[in-house]
Formats: sequence, C-alpha cells, structure tokens
Amino acid sequence: MAWEFPTLSRRTFLKAAGGGAAGLALLKPAGLLGGGAGEDEGSEAYTYSICNFCSSLCNIRVTTRTRNGAKRIVKLDGNPNSTLNRGKLCARGQAGLRQTYDTDRLKTPLIRVEGSKRGENKFRSATWEEAYAYIEKKQKGGNIQPWEWTMIGGWTSCVFYMSWAVPFALANGIPNLIASPMQACVTNGHLGTDAVTGTFNVHDEILPDFDNAKYILFIANNASIGAVSTCRMVRFAAGRKNGAKVVAIDPRQSETASKADEWISIRPGTDLDFLLAMLKTMLEERLYDADFLRQHSNMPFLVQADADGQWHLALDAKGQPQVVLERSSEIRSLPAYTHDNGLDANGRPCQPALHAPAGLTLNGRPVVTVLQAQLEEIRACTPEWAENSTGIAAATIRRIAREFGTARPAIVDPGWHGGRYGNIIMMRRVQAMIQALTGGIDKAGGWILSGEVHKKQAHVLKSKAAGVEAGPPLATTVGMPFANLVISVFSQGKNFPHGKPGWAWAFSEQEKKAGRPYVMLPVLADPGFKESVEGSLNYHGEPYRTRAVLLNAANPVRHYFPDSRWKEILTHKNLELVIAIDVLPSDTTAYADVILPNSTYLERSEPNVYANGVNHDLGLTTRYAAIDPLYDTREVPDILFKMTEIISGNGEGFLAHIDQLTGLGAASLKKHLAEPAIARSKNPLAAAYREVAFELAAEEAGMTKAQFDAVLREKGVCILESKERLLERGAMPWKLPMATGSGRVEFYSGLFDGLRKMGGTAPQFHVLATHIPTQCRSVGSASLADDEFYFTYGKAPTVSYASTNSNNPVLAAINRFKQDIYTRIWIHPARAAFLGIAEGDPIRLTNAKSGQTATGHAHLTRMIHREALFLYSSFGAENPLLTRSVGLGTATNKLIPYDLEPVTAGFRTQEFTVRIKKIAEKGGEA
Amino acid sequence: MTRYAMVIDLNTCVGCNACMAACAMENQTPVWKNKWRTYVHEKEIGTAEEVRRRFLPRLCNHCDNPPCLTVCPTGATYQRDDGIVLVDPERCMGCRACAMACPYDARYEVTYGDIKTGREFYGDLKRESPSMDKCSFCAHRVDKGQKPACVETCVGSARMFGDLDNPADPVARLVASGVAQPLMPYLGTRPNVYYIDDMKRKG
Amino acid sequence: MDTMTYTTQNIWTWWIAVYLFFGGLGAATLTITFLTDMYCRPHRKLVLWGAISGVVLLAASSAVLFGHLLHHTAVIYVLNPLVLFYKPDAWIAWGTQFILWMMVWGTLYALPYMRETPAFLRLPLVGKLIGSRLAGWLVGCCMKHRRVVGWLAAVNGIGTAVYTGLLIQSFPAVALWHNPGVPLLFTVSAFSTAFAYLLLLLHTFITDENDQDLRHRYERFDLVLIATELVILFSFFSYTLSGSESGYRSAQLLWGDLGWLVGFIGFGLLVPFLLELKGAIRGWSSRLPTVAAALLVLMGGYLLRHYFMYAGVYAYPW
Ligand SMILES: Nc1nc2c(c(=O)[nH]1)N[C@H]1C(S)=C(S)[C@@H](COP(=O)(O)OP(=O)(O)OC[C@H]3O[C@@H](n4cnc5c(=O)[nH]c(N)nc54)[C@H](O)[C@@H]3O)O[C@H]1N2
Ligand SMILES: Nc1nc2c(c(=O)[nH]1)N[C@H]1C(S)=C(S)[C@@H](COP(=O)(O)OP(=O)(O)OC[C@H]3O[C@@H](n4cnc5c(=O)[nH]c(N)nc54)[C@H](O)[C@@H]3O)O[C@H]1N2
Ligand code: SF4
Ligand code: SF4
Ligand code: SF4
Ligand code: SF4
Ligand code: SF4
Ligand SMILES: [Mo]
Repeated sequence: MAWEFPTLSRRTFLKAAGGGAAGLALLKPAGLLGGGAGEDEGSEAYTYSICNFCSSLCNIRVTTRTRNGAKRIVKLDGNPNSTLNRGKLCARGQAGLRQTYDTDRLKTPLIRVEGSKRGENKFRSATWEEAYAYIEKKQKGGNIQPWEWTMIGGWTSCVFYMSWAVPFALANGIPNLIASPMQACVTNGHLGTDAVTGTFNVHDEILPDFDNAKYILFIANNASIGAVSTCRMVRFAAGRKNGAKVVAIDPRQSETASKADEWISIRPGTDLDFLLAMLKTMLEERLYDADFLRQHSNMPFLVQADADGQWHLALDAKGQPQVVLERSSEIRSLPAYTHDNGLDANGRPCQPALHAPAGLTLNGRPVVTVLQAQLEEIRACTPEWAENSTGIAAATIRRIAREFGTARPAIVDPGWHGGRYGNIIMMRRVQAMIQALTGGIDKAGGWILSGEVHKKQAHVLKSKAAGVEAGPPLATTVGMPFANLVISVFSQGKNFPHGKPGWAWAFSEQEKKAGRPYVMLPVLADPGFKESVEGSLNYHGEPYRTRAVLLNAANPVRHYFPDSRWKEILTHKNLELVIAIDVLPSDTTAYADVILPNSTYLERSEPNVYANGVNHDLGLTTRYAAIDPLYDTREVPDILFKMTEIISGNGEGFLAHIDQLTGLGAASLKKHLAEPAIARSKNPLAAAYREVAFELAAEEAGMTKAQFDAVLREKGVCILESKERLLERGAMPWKLPMATGSGRVEFYSGLFDGLRKMGGTAPQFHVLATHIPTQCRSVGSASLADDEFYFTYGKAPTVSYASTNSNNPVLAAINRFKQDIYTRIWIHPARAAFLGIAEGDPIRLTNAKSGQTATGHAHLTRMIHREALFLYSSFGAENPLLTRSVGLGTATNKLIPYDLEPVTAGFRTQEFTVRIKKIAEKGGEA
Repeated sequence: MTRYAMVIDLNTCVGCNACMAACAMENQTPVWKNKWRTYVHEKEIGTAEEVRRRFLPRLCNHCDNPPCLTVCPTGATYQRDDGIVLVDPERCMGCRACAMACPYDARYEVTYGDIKTGREFYGDLKRESPSMDKCSFCAHRVDKGQKPACVETCVGSARMFGDLDNPADPVARLVASGVAQPLMPYLGTRPNVYYIDDMKRKG
Repeated sequence: MDTMTYTTQNIWTWWIAVYLFFGGLGAATLTITFLTDMYCRPHRKLVLWGAISGVVLLAASSAVLFGHLLHHTAVIYVLNPLVLFYKPDAWIAWGTQFILWMMVWGTLYALPYMRETPAFLRLPLVGKLIGSRLAGWLVGCCMKHRRVVGWLAAVNGIGTAVYTGLLIQSFPAVALWHNPGVPLLFTVSAFSTAFAYLLLLLHTFITDENDQDLRHRYERFDLVLIATELVILFSFFSYTLSGSESGYRSAQLLWGDLGWLVGFIGFGLLVPFLLELKGAIRGWSSRLPTVAAALLVLMGGYLLRHYFMYAGVYAYPW
C-alpha cells in the first residue's frame, strides 16, 4: 500500500499559515500591524491641464499638496475623464512635473554679457524692464524693419499660441515664420495623407480606431504609437487585446514592432516600393470596397494622358469631372464638389464604373478611369520588383496585400514624422490610398477624423450653403481652404504693407528664375533664411535681409539639420538681435542675446480654450495653473504684445488681428483688461484673453461662462459630442463631403494637379501614385561597402524630440538605466564582428555623401537590419547648463545634411549612407 | 478576504517606462541614484533573425511566503491580511537581510544621504528615516480604492491589479485560467505578480 | 519566460564576511575555553583569554554590522529580547540575542577569575567595577552556579556559531547558501578556527608547560574538524555541480578561483591539516609550524566566508 501523504492545497496552506501568522501577530507590538494611522499629509487638490511634451496633447490631472502653507505639485496622472488618453500618461507625461522643479530652469530674463560671443553662454540676470529696454535699444538703434525679423516657433508655440503668433506677424508686418513641427515633421509627414483625405488642420494627424480593427499595419511608425503617443497606444493595446493581427514594417525592431505578430525588417528607404506593390496587388485582385470607391472617391473619374504621358482629369466644359456608367459607355458629368457620386450633375441617379470599357474615347482621345490610370502608372511595381529593392519576399508582400485587403476593418497607420526621404509625401499618400481602398475612412475600425475636423468641416459646409463667410479662419476653417490660407498669408507680399512675401517665397522665386532647384511650398520652412542672413537674397532687385530673430519654444540648433548651419546663422555678424523664449537653457538659447523665461505649463492658465487634440469625440479643454509661477516668468501673449509695441508700436493692430483671425474679440478683451484683478496681474493680456475665450467656448457649449468653467474645473475636459454622434451625423465622405478639393477621397490628387500647374515637374508632383526612388547612395546599386550602412533614427520613449526634457531628472535616470539601448548606435553583431567592433566601443560615423561626422558608442543587437544603423534621435545636448543630459548620446543633426525635398522643403534626413570606424582604444573618447 | 495580485500582459507592454516614472513620482523614490521600485527590463531573445524584443516589468511580488519577511529581525517587513508586504521605515534598521533573501531583486537602500537629497528633490518628503525600500503595491492608494500608480498609467494596459479572492475579478480569472504565470514559483515564494507570456507569436 | 540573468550580489560584502568570521570565531573560542575550564581543568588564563577574545571579537563583529546599518536607532528592536517572540523566524534576531547573552554570561563566567587577577583590578574604571561590592555578590552567585553560567555562555556561543550558517542558509534564491550543509560547515569552521586561535595563544601568550596536553588535544580536535570541513566541502562541490544553474555557476566561480582553491582549500585547510597531522603523529621540534598552521586556519576561516558571500549566484528571470 502506498503511503498516504497529507495533501496541501494552496488554500489550506494559506489558512494554516494565516492562522500561524495571526497567532504570531498577537505578540507583535501594536503599531506594527496598523501601519501609519495618523499621517498628516496636508491637503491634496486636483487641477486639470494638458501635457506639454508632445502634440498628442494628453489631458492631465495635477495633484497638488499644500502643507504648512506651501503648495507643491506632487503627481501627474492622465485625466480619468478624458476619452483621448483614457486616464493614462507616458513616461514623459508622468515625469512632467519635474520640468517645473528642474533646478536648471530659466528663472529670470538673461542678457548676454557685453563682449561675449553668441554660443559662449555668458549671461547676466536682468529684470523684464531691462530685457525689454535692451531689445528696444537694438530695435530702434538698428532701425530693424518688420521684414527683417524672423520668428521661429516650436510645436508648443504652434499649438497653444498660433492665435497670437500669426496676428503678431501680421500686425507687425513680419512675413517670416519658421515652425519646427512643420518643416521637420508634419508638413511633409502629412501632406501625402491630407492630399487624399483633405484633413489639413492644426491637428491633422488622424487617430485610427485601433480598438475595433482586425488587422493593423504599421510602416515607419514608432513614437507615433508605442513609444509613445498615449492616445494611440491605449487604443492599439485594446485592439491587440481584442485579437487584431499586427504587422510592423521597420528596419529595426522598434517598441511598436516588438508588439507585432509579424516584424518585417525592410531595407531602409524602400517603403514606397513595398506600398506600390501592395497597391498594385490590391487593385489588380480587386481587394477593395468597390461600392465605396465608386460612390465616395474619384477613382471612377475619367482621365486622359497628354503627349508627355501626364494624366489629366477629363473635365467637361463647366470644369466638372466625368465618369462612365457601369456596364455601358455612357459618360456623365458629376458635381465638382460632393461626397456622393450617386447623383450626376443633373441630379440623375448614376452608377459610375471603376473600369472604363476597353477602347472608350472622349473627344476622340482614349479615356480611362483613375483606377485604370493608376494601375497603368504602377504597372511595373510588382511584388517581385519590390522584393528586389525592399529585401522582402514577393510572396510576403502579396500575402500582406491580400490579408490587408480582406481582413476588414483594417488599418494602415497614416504615419506621423516626415523627413527621412524625398519620397515621404508619396509614401504617405499611397498609405492613405490603401486605407481608402478598404473604405475604412470615418468608419469603425478604420481612420476616424478628429472631432475638431468634423466640427470645422460641418461649419464650413453650412456657411458655404448659406453663402456666408465661415468666420475667423484660425478657429473655423479646415482642409484645403485652411491649407490655402496658410500658404497665401506668407507667400503673398500684398498681405503686408511693405509688399514683401516671406523670404522663403522670395528665395524660391529667385532660385526658380535662376533655373536652380527650388521648393514649391516652403510653408513655415527655412529655405532662404541663411541666404537672407548672409545677404545673398534679393527680392525685386533689393537685398532681402534678416537682422533679428525671435525664437519661441524652438531649439533649431538641436532640431534642425544640420546643427552647424544654425550655429553659423546664429553667430553671423549680420544678425543683430537674437531673442529666445524658453523654459530651460537649450542648445539654442546659448546663441541668444536675450533669453526671456516662460512659465512652465503647470504654472500656466492658458489664454485660450482648445479642441481636444485628435480625439474622435468633440471636446473643449484648457490648462489651469496648478501653482503660481515659481520664478520671474511671463506668458507668451504678453511678451508678444510688448514685442509688438517695440517693433511697430501697433498694439491695437495686434488685438485687431487676433479678433479677425480667431474671433477673440478686442472689445470684450478691453473690458476684461479693465478688471482690477487682471489689470494687476503680471500677464494681464493672457488673463483677459482667457476670459474672452471662456465666453466664446461657453456659448459654443451652450452654457454660461461660470457653468463651463465649473465643468472644466471638475472634469478637465468638456465633451460636446461623442464620436458615435459625430459619425452618425457627418461621417466623411459617407454623409458629408471631405475637406478635399472635390469633397471625395482623392486618388487623383487635386492638390498635386494644382502644384503641377504651378510648375512642379519632379515625380513628387505626380497626380497619381508613382515610384520615386530614394538616393541614399551616389554610386548606384552596387552592394554596400563593408563599413557602409543605411542610416535610420527614431524617437526614444522617454524624450520628446531632442528636447530639453532629456534633462528631466526622472527621464534622465531612465535613460541612464537603459543607456546601452537608448544612447548607443545599433549595429548588427554580424557586421560589427567583421569590423572588430564590440559592445560599447567608441565609433566614428561619417556621412558618405556629405562628409559630416559624429561619434558615439556601438550597441550590438540583432534587432536592426544588417544593412542599417539605428540611433535614437533624442540625444546629443551640448549646453552644459543642461546638467543631466549634456554630453549624453549622439546628436543626429551632426550627421544629417541640408538636403530638401522639392514640395515642402522637408529634410531628407536619411537619404545617405554612413561609414563607421572604431576609434582607437587609447583615449578613445567618443 | 482580499488577496491582491498583479497581472502583467507582456503582449501589450511596450517598454515605455511610464510605470517607472509614475512610481517614482508617486512614491518619491531615489531617482538620483537610479533606484526604482519597478524596472522595465529589455531583453533580446530568439535565435538568428528570429529575434524578439521582450520587455519585462519587475517589482516586488508580494509573495505569500516571502523570504524577505522571514529573515527580517526587526519586524519592519510585515504582511497585511490582504497579502501586501510592506516595510515600516521607522522600524527597519537596514541590515539588508531582506534584500539578500528576496529572489526577485525587489529591494534597494534608502540612506541618510538619500533622505537629505530627497528633501531637496521632492520638497516635501513623506519618509523620515532611512530603510530598505521596495514596491508597496501602492497600499496607500489601494486603501483609498485607487489602483497602483503604475497600473493606472500603463499605456499598454499591460498591468492589471485585482483581488484573487474575488472570482469575478478579471485578474483572478486570468490567474485561475493559467495563462498568467508567476516568476520562479519553484522557490516556494508563492509570488503574486503574474505574467502573460508573449512568446506565442503568430504569423 | 526563461531569459535568466545570473549574478552575484554586492549587498553583503566583505563586512558581512568579517561579521560572520569574527562572530563564529569569538563564539567558538569562548565556548571551547569554558568547556575546557569546566570539564578538563580550571584554567584562569585560558578562560580570561577566551572570554575576552570572545567578547571583543563579537563586539567587533557587531560593530562592523552596526556601522553598516542604514538606520542605527532602529537596532533597538533586535536588542529587545522580546524580539524572539515576535520574530522567532528571523535568524538575525536569534543571532543578536545569542551574541548579546553570550557576552553577558561569558563576562559573568570570567568575572571570578578577573577578580583574582591583579592586572584587572589595576585597570582604571574596570578595576573599580570588578572590585565593587556588587561584583563581589555577583561572583558569589556565579561560583555557586558555575556550571549553569558556563553552559548558558556555551550554549549561546554554540548558537552564535550555528547562527552564522543559518543566516546564510535563509536566503532561498542561492543554491550555494540555501542548504542544510551551510550551518554545519560554518559551525565546523567556527570551531576549527577557534581551536587554531587557541593553539596560537597557547604557543604565544599562554606558554605554560603544563598546557602541553591541552595543546595536543586542541590540535587533534582541529585535525578532526578540518577533515570534517574537507568532507563537507567535497559534498558541496559535488552538490553544486548539478541540480540548479545557480549552484553550478557558484561551483564555476569557486572551483575556478585560485583564491578559493589555493588560498582557502590549499593554504587554509590542506597545508595546516598536514602540518597539524605531523604535529599530532610525530610532533614538531619547533612551535613555528603549529603557529603557522593556526594562522593559516584563521586566514582560511575568513576566506571561506569571503568566498561564500562572493560566490552566491542569484538567478533572476530577466
Ligand atoms: N534631433 C532631432 N530633431 C528633431 C526631431 C527628433 O526627434 N530629433 N523631431 C522632429 C519633429 S518630429 C518635430 S515635431 C520637431 C519638434 O521640434 P520643437 O517643437 O522645436 O521641439 P520641442 O523640443 O518640443 O521644443 C523646443 C523648445 O521648446 C522649449 N519648451 C518646452 N516647453 C516650453 C514652454 O512651455 N514654453 C516655452 N516657451 N518653451 C518651451 C524646450 O525647452 C525646447 O528648447 O523636431 C524635429 N527635429
Ligand atoms: N517618445 C516620443 N514620442 C513622440 C514624440 C516625441 O518627441 N517623443 N513626438 C511626437 C511627434 S511630434 C511625432 S512627429 C511622432 C513621430 O512618430 P514616428 O513617426 O513614429 O517617429 P519615429 O520614432 O521617429 O520613427 C518611427 C520608426 O521609423 C523607423 N524607420 C526609420 N527609417 C525607416 C525606413 O526607411 N522604413 C521604415 N519602414 N521604417 C523606418 C524607425 O526605426 C522608427 O522605429 O511621435 C510623437 N510621439
Ligand atoms: S503622449 Fe506622453 S508626452 Fe505626449 S502628450 Fe501624452 S503624456 Fe504627454
Ligand atoms: S507602463 Fe505599461 S506598457 Fe509601459 S513599460 Fe510599464 S508595464 Fe510596459
Ligand atoms: S518579491 Fe522579494 S521583497 Fe517582495 S515579497 Fe517576495 S521576497 Fe519579499
Ligand atoms: S533591512 Fe530592514 S526590512 Fe530588511 S531585514 Fe533588515 S530590518 Fe528588516
Ligand atoms: S504598485 Fe506602486 S509601488 Fe509598486 S511598482 Fe507600482 S507604482 Fe510602484
Ligand atoms: Mo513631429
């Protein structure tokens, strides 16, 4: 007989152990068990705000603790009432309060010490009065003209203060604006998407409905999803938990790719090839929502090729598009602007065909549909062709095209950061087309346009129908009209009393005339800036100079390409005045004459009420200051007002322009300015505008100002309309026209048609999807040399851009904890072994095209494509006043040349290869 | 009875480190010396090009049978009825035996110097004395009906917190289903942090 | 989830090795001298040396530990004897109490001898204390219950020696430590080093010819203990070679290390074993070899603890 062992289940054991413990507990001295009963923690309170570390714009809840009369911010959390970020924050958001308490902060205005040079970082503290007096002296003394000023803004100033920055420029007659989130990021990052969907807006990033998707494809995405844009990541995580299949295409295994079912390591710069092969497969195998394309896109529009093989819409005499009816040869005209092709221009029911019958002609010339023309255009782009360049098996490409085309709802993420290659706009365009093929626009499980876009578009359409002006454009317009407005304001001299357009436009004109390559739409971009500083730019025969620069929340020495160019510009003798508004010393503030300290976001009650970012729901939100400013800092509207008085004395004009462009009324403003509490405050303008903004927002929300304030104080965000309601009423293009030129999803691009007419000849201006090769190597197709690699980069989860928050003590500590992965240069061990490079070895990187060099340390990992290097682009800070991040990592912009794509001046940040070399062991400091 | 536990789904942990930052701010940990109550480790696993990037968040496991508690001579380490293992800094003399006993490397030191730095850094430091420190499952939040700070902010919703004694609790169900497994259970520590493996990659 | 990291610790380093070494040595020395005094023959000098060495070594080891505490005032919780009721599972609690009471009982056991020793009475403060009436009364009590006091001291001494091993054994993550061999090994080593220490004393400071029998006896005991230690170590060797990765890595660390192999096993055990063996069988003409053997054993005692702390391998699942 077997022995009978007593069996001990987990439960019974716990009970026994618990009993024992209870027995022992009797003997424990009191106090051990209860654990800190009467803690006196002071009192805690919540205020609500918006995160300031990336334009995901997460809603946050700020906890403050007041003890012994001192109030401190102790914790940030995602606002639990927010449907945008669903109560969550990323590491940067969580650590945000340490920006306010950063000991390295700018605490008073600073003036560069007499006799020192820009870049030497020698400053003396000053009062605001002294700082302004200094600026005034330079302005008056130098008689600096309005057009000789250039403003440079980062994303913070763009998103939160556009309503002041643009009126400031117009009131002072300053036609020159550079915005880092534009040229370095969204202009080219989103232009392709927007060309298809018409989503031009302050926040034109589209937030896909990952929650409900069955298939998710990421191409060159990471920080925009898992590393981290919180509002996207929370949705992606839900989608993945719901069982969506995830495929990530990235030369390295990014944080996002590590969460994919399938990571496809692509040869850098060949994504367009992959996408074209996918597009071709999906079109050929009819893996699309044919009804959607027929009804809501311009796929059925008829096009004809001209003598040069260029496609043009076959418009009727009234300029309306024409289609051929399904199963017939009857050609009909459609309304120029509508979302629905179901009724023709004469109101008759209409079933447009996606494929014109063979041999169809119009006006004696062959005519085909956009779909057919598109297929014709990419006839050569087979999966086998793409295999050759991308290094991905044709079978895989075909399989993914089929999976994507059949697993509905499917999402290909629109992508976010631009730059990288001259074909990025086309690449994002093709992505949008592929998405549209599935009908997944403004539909559950697909791309859903933001509440703000819905609101504005509905408003624009209503005004149009009523035949009235839409109202203050910065607050109400969206889509192509918005894009046109932004382009026209600074590109046309007639908008300014002095008749000069921005130097960027003058420069394009000059270069075009000279027959040199030029940028067609240098919107808020830097081409010509250097020339205007150096004195080589002329406009209508007169020199066009830049003599003064006002930077707000921008760090171009670290964020623009290359750093040397900016250092040259900022130290140039022709530049008489450089002013920087910032919260921390940056690599750029080191080159300023005057530094004006801004309050940090947690110390600010913003002057405006804002839309809830890219949220699907329509909401309003703003910031409430959690604490009073710790130091002698000021707010942007008041600084800009003071600067207006100095530059042009046109304070009234500033207010009037704000009124006109944003609807924040000057009359109401003055009423509030007279209120004693506001009049007494350090930043009366910001405070008074806040009152005006609350009045407007309350009206929109259908509440009193006090009610609206109460809702925001209690919840931090006021949701006006849910995503479901918005889609039900105005899903685009299902129910309302999109904000594209034609109201439909545009496969044949109206925007690029227009640019072609303006003289765009490069393949970038093609009206259809077409192949644009990347030119990483000048030597052509021979294989890489042993020490040669494609260059890739991406954002680290714990740093914004290459921003000053790398100095945040919490983030800096995490970066040190993961130093090998975050701050070193990723190299495949097989390649490294060949070059005798080991983990941590100091190496030198040389741009094989430009000769630029940078140094760093090697990180050996198989998570990177064998032919590529990767580094996180978040490091390389040089200002020693950033005590925790100076000297950490490699500065990306020491390697990246000044090389632009021709449409929007996007930087070709990866269109080159690098050679690497181990730095000799001895004194091998990198 | 209540028995708190955490489940971490490695399938949606993106290694963003938000939990580290959140925990540091919530619990005033000594970030200046790079010590955390929770760490997110990164590892490269798999052969050749089949490589996989794995993130593994770690913290105290609030073991049912915690060796750190057994060895603690002062009684500073104690376990509440709901299973949370805590350290009373007033009572802890800092012999570090608990750190030696813990198989999960969950503990670190807070020194007199850290108290001084902490007062400067956090302005209003909650702790008065040095001691060994570790994750508390945010007992102070849990007692108020809130989730731990790291769970609350986890952008991947990878961290879940719940009660094993409540059969309706999703955490209890995940644990009971066997899909969530603890680390090194063979040591007899009976850990209460469970992980959902991310190895079952399709495609 | 089998992505393991194997690593040694740097929490308890040399200072714990010192604590363990001094603790074991002091406790065993005291125990041996008292037992000798009770059952072999009364030996004032030996008891004084043993008690004082024991107390001083234990005080030193405790001071090293105390110095490394993070929070010194909280030590009160382990000094309070009630700790044995509320933390009976914590070996440090037992160890602290053993050490504490060993020092008390050890001093009491030695007190009568001190009172007879003029050198002590001449000491500034101590002399006064020893000479006091209270001390006189205490001496009376002690003499009345000599064996009881002696055993109380000895039991606490043995407890301390065993405790040093139990402490290390209570860390379950490390295979090298978490096994019943450790208390045994540490106890044997404690007594072996104590015998060596006493041999050293008997050849240097207590050079009474009458003690020749003690010298022989101690030498033999030491031989047996060293041999036992070698046997235990051999079983450790074979135990760590398989069974767990942690143990195997410890084995690699230890048996691949010259400090351990040559320093400890060779010079700390084998060489003194041979020296003492010859001494026991044939005798030495000079006392030098025995003194050398004793010194080597002492060195070995420290090395054992040092390497034991150093070679404990944790297996972390990340
Ligand atoms: N090396 C490198 N360059 C990049 C990128 C990258 O990842 N690496 N990313 C590119 C992309 S995608 C973008 S969108 C751009 C972003 O470029 P920016 O929008 O310019 O980036 P930020 O780092 O957010 O902001 C720059 C400056 O704003 C300051 N600042 C922060 N908060 C405040 C505030 O509240 N008030 C004021 N006045 N100033 C503040 C910071 O201290 C910093 O000096 O950079 C582009 N360039
Ligand atoms: N942590 C963090 N998150 C942020 C921001 C931040 O500053 N920090 N900023 C926000 C902003 S403004 C932006 S623009 C977005 C940017 O978000 P993303 O556009 O996702 O930005 P990145 O991280 O720069 O790059 C994404 C991935 O592209 C990969 N990649 C590089 N070259 C190629 C290539 O040739 N082909 C393919 N397929 N992949 C390639 C990189 O390896 C990287 O993993 O992030 C937002 N979120
Ligand atoms: S994603 Fe992170 S940094 Fe960006 S807004 Fe949200 S919390 Fe802030
Ligand atoms: S917050 Fe969540 S997703 Fe991010 S690293 Fe921590 S556990 Fe992973
Ligand atoms: S994980 Fe370590 S510290 Fe936490 S309860 Fe278990 S043994 Fe103790
Ligand atoms: S360090 Fe503190 S908590 Fe840890 S065992 Fe020692 S007294 Fe207990
Ligand atoms: S439960 Fe609380 S203490 Fe533990 S890791 Fe999470 S945030 Fe930190
Ligand atoms: Mo960006």
